[in-house]
Amino acid sequence: MFKILNTARVLICVGSGGVGKTTLAASLGFMAAKQGRRVLVLTIDPSQRLKTTLNLSETGQISKLNHPEIKGEFSAAVIDAKKTFDEFVEKAAGSPELAQKILNNRLYQQLSTTLNGSQEFTALEKLYANYECKDFDLIILDTPPTKHAIDFLNAPQKLSVLFNEGVAKWFRKPKKGRNLISKIMHTGTLQVLKALESLTGSEFMHELADFFENIESWQSKLEERVTAVHRLLVHSDTHFCLVTSFDQAKLKEAAYFSKEIRKGGYRLTAVIINRAFPTWLARIKTGLEVKGDSWLERQFLDFRGYYQTRDQFYKVFAKDIIQQSQEAGIIHQLPEFDRDIANLDDVAELAICIEQGGRKI
Amino acid sequence: MEINFITGKGGVGKSAVAAAMAVQKAKSGMKTILVELGDQSFFQDYFLVPTVNYKPTGLQLCKQSLDVSLWTGQECLKEYAMHILKIQSLYHLFFENAVSRALINVAPALPELAILGKITSGPPRNVGPKMPYDCIVVDAYASGHFSALLRAPAGLAQAVRFGPMGEQVRSIDAVLKDNKICNYYVVALPEELPIIEGLELAQSIEDVVRIKPKMILNKMLSMHSGWQKKENKTTQELQPFVDYIESLSGRQKQMLKRLNESSFSSFTLPWVLKNEAEKVIEALAQKLDEGGLQNV
Repeated sequence: MFKILNTARVLICVGSGGVGKTTLAASLGFMAAKQGRRVLVLTIDPSQRLKTTLNLSETGQISKLNHPEIKGEFSAAVIDAKKTFDEFVEKAAGSPELAQKILNNRLYQQLSTTLNGSQEFTALEKLYANYECKDFDLIILDTPPTKHAIDFLNAPQKLSVLFNEGVAKWFRKPKKGRNLISKIMHTGTLQVLKALESLTGSEFMHELADFFENIESWQSKLEERVTAVHRLLVHSDTHFCLVTSFDQAKLKEAAYFSKEIRKGGYRLTAVIINRAFPTWLARIKTGLEVKGDSWLERQFLDFRGYYQTRDQFYKVFAKDIIQQSQEAGIIHQLPEFDRDIANLDDVAELAICIEQGGRKI
Repeated sequence: MEINFITGKGGVGKSAVAAAMAVQKAKSGMKTILVELGDQSFFQDYFLVPTVNYKPTGLQLCKQSLDVSLWTGQECLKEYAMHILKIQSLYHLFFENAVSRALINVAPALPELAILGKITSGPPRNVGPKMPYDCIVVDAYASGHFSALLRAPAGLAQAVRFGPMGEQVRSIDAVLKDNKICNYYVVALPEELPIIEGLELAQSIEDVVRIKPKMILNKMLSMHSGWQKKENKTTQELQPFVDYIESLSGRQKQMLKRLNESSFSSFTLPWVLKNEAEKVIEALAQKLDEGGLQNV
């Protein structure tokens, strides 16, 4: 399984928050490093999971991890969203003065940390920068925690619209000698800006205008980057891995997302259902007759019934996914571990579990 | 007016807890709305209803009537703008234009502010259209995204001191810091990472709003005391299960201890071994009613 780990250059783990993306990204990276590849796993704040699991101390720094089973290289880094964005601005601004001006804008300070899409952009920016420098054979990106997995793919476009010529133009004063059409257009935008001003006040508008004037110098660079990143995402050596947990609503969402991934022209190579079944259940005889005479027996029946019902949801989901991909082997189910994944040895063990293919249904 | 924010790391059961709290509030006689934030509805799939969007959908949940609604920054801003501008044509120019729509969507902190403005639009602020509710339960963003949301008004209050926006951000900030109106709940699982992240989140919420959030420890096993003595021969075949629940409950107790050592008060909710959303919510609401909430 996971033959693509030998050939892929980029693997992107997507899925909604709390499904175990980070741990799986680390395990997939570990598997590839075991096979001799030089691997970098990138994860993003604020979840800090990889940081805890892989004992990463400083954010932003790439740290190389050692384990006897690794034949290649295994490195990991936490992406510091604010730092990455600032670095991008410094490079794109062209001059240190211009860079400083934008870094000082108070709206920018809000933007680089809280803006819709900025975290996703920085994740992709970091991915691209590492891809370009060719220090690694495979880069695995653990995507930022979003409520819905689909947000990740839409984010860069959202951000790119902000920087496209159209928006920035609004805040520029009309130059003398402009033709009539552009004057009329400007009147229209003036009305919109007036409306916005009555909602927010002149001070906010001033900050906003300042912001757009300052980013003018780097908007072409940002758009270039967004285009280049998109090219990378649809490249034949880039693969997506969808991670989901095992309840009805999440499986429904995953089925929807897998359609969206394909629609966007991306390669969805694996769907991993995490914590799909408990390891203890496999060790108990199938169909064991239990009457429910005691507390323990009743507990057991409750648990077994719970997992059996979930298998029903799974069958509906699997049919849908396999139909979409025309590939029976796309889904992998992983067990619910009896303990927290807390260090590199645990990651190695999870990797073995993935290699063995999880559970076959 | 009472506002309850439910947050926590992704995957801890935040939405189920929020729904259960809404049911429990409705049961206690309050006119309640359950609000989710984001671009797409989770409750739509969860409650198996045709649509959940900005306009509240009436719902019969566990024999209680309540409204459920999905609030996006854009919709909140649109409603507020309509209320203030009152001019249809300007409104259309503003919101139907692709470029201005993009601007609104990404203009730093505007969507965040619009959402918080809507949540806090009732008394004492009384801004915008009336909201006929006694209680709002917000199934809020996860961890980092939620603290960023809470920080938006204070951050903007510094950047924008004057004008309508300056006034709005200050009054929104004041409501968020009012412990007679707002309650904050951080949901966590009795596992190491969710607890660490949950406690960090609780601290960052307290840092911003100066109200201590309450921790909710979800999915706790309830062990029957003395069950081991009564078990007989079946235990042999069920040994893997016995090992499992013993080790799990051991770890869970450790995590609970860790939580109790923190400066935040907490209460626990059981692991409901049901797959149907309504049954899970009913059991959790029951537990909240029995005193989970009061015990805090």
